[in-house]
Amino acid sequence: MSSRRPPVRLTPDQFRAVVSAVLRIGVVTAAVLTGAGFAMSLLVGWEGSLTGAPPATADPTDFSQLVAGLLALRPIAFAQAGLLVLLATPVLRVATSVVGFWLEADRLYVAITALVLAILLASIFLVR
Amino acid sequence: MTLGADVGIFLVSIAAGVVGALAGVGGGILIVPALTLLFGIDIRLAIGASIVSVIATSSGAAAAYVRDRLTDMRVGMFLELATTTGAVVGALLAAIVAPGLLYILLGMVLLGSAGMQVVRLGEEVPPDVEPSGLAARLRLVSSYPDARLGREVPYAARRVPLGFALMWGAGVVSGLLGIGSGALKVVAMDGAMRLPMKVSSATSNFMIGVTAAASAGIYLARGDVDPTLVAPVALGVLAGATLGARLLPRLSNRHVRWVFLPVLVVIGIQTLLRGLGVGL
Repeated sequence: MSSRRPPVRLTPDQFRAVVSAVLRIGVVTAAVLTGAGFAMSLLVGWEGSLTGAPPATADPTDFSQLVAGLLALRPIAFAQAGLLVLLATPVLRVATSVVGFWLEADRLYVAITALVLAILLASIFLVR
Repeated sequence: MTLGADVGIFLVSIAAGVVGALAGVGGGILIVPALTLLFGIDIRLAIGASIVSVIATSSGAAAAYVRDRLTDMRVGMFLELATTTGAVVGALLAAIVAPGLLYILLGMVLLGSAGMQVVRLGEEVPPDVEPSGLAARLRLVSSYPDARLGREVPYAARRVPLGFALMWGAGVVSGLLGIGSGALKVVAMDGAMRLPMKVSSATSNFMIGVTAAASAGIYLARGDVDPTLVAPVALGVLAGATLGARLLPRLSNRHVRWVFLPVLVVIGIQTLLRGLGVGL
């Protein structure tokens, strides 16, 4: 531990409010996208499109048509987008915590949290 | 999937979200058997949906728990170091370790810790102790506002190395078996580190999303996550977890123990059965 401590720019309460907000925004965004997809599926079916594009032939677990599907207002694309936002939320929460501990001037926990983030990203993108 | 089935899955998922938020687990215990037994869904897709339900429970409940100071973020981040490194080791071991035996072992550990939970059923807050040097250096000493008791309850993590080792084991198990292992996390924090029950549950909830997110990529790539099935699950679990997170502050630690114990027993039995080849 260095004796020269960085200045505290975030109180513990502010830190909690930010982390809580990140989680809430992630969850609400995921719920809105998923809910929209579900509602649209009641109108045109999961394979359909609100713009009248021909039915999707891709497997619902195939995410490669996501952007095209969103533009064609396909229910399945909205459900997929909601799912991805939901899965990304914990990762964003850890990334936010790295910054939060930094601003709280807690170097030990900056190191711990950054290490967790690195391992998390590695296991998402490298372990197959 | 018919609309009726979707509504049914949505309702079961609400229940899973409430129980998961209160007990500090991901709700897979309700989701997987309900999807396979009631709705005839393939076990592979049911497990894919349960991974998503773990993340939904975690983020949905933790948004409230972090704000309400029930989640201890330092305890959570410190122990995530153990669970994430453990999970990587578990994933690497997966090719050489037979899962059957591991499920049986884990089932016995969970049922054994259920026995120890019974002893603590009447305990409201852990006895005061002088924090160890390690707990103080890691800042694992804090307090939480207990709305039920109407006061601030101080606590200090005990047996930090044991708790860290148990969490590492929980991480290995997650990596090997692809489960969130929330029950094992609560046991490590409540049983080994002697954190208050509500803090253990809320901090486990905070952590399980990260554990599940680490393995979610594998499930997505394998095609085990069907968004048309996951949509009603995610919406129901998010609603349930939000509800459960409003409930937890008003409950006593004893109440939470009464919710957690049956959950622990059911997870223990399910895990044992899976090891014996009975998929639930």
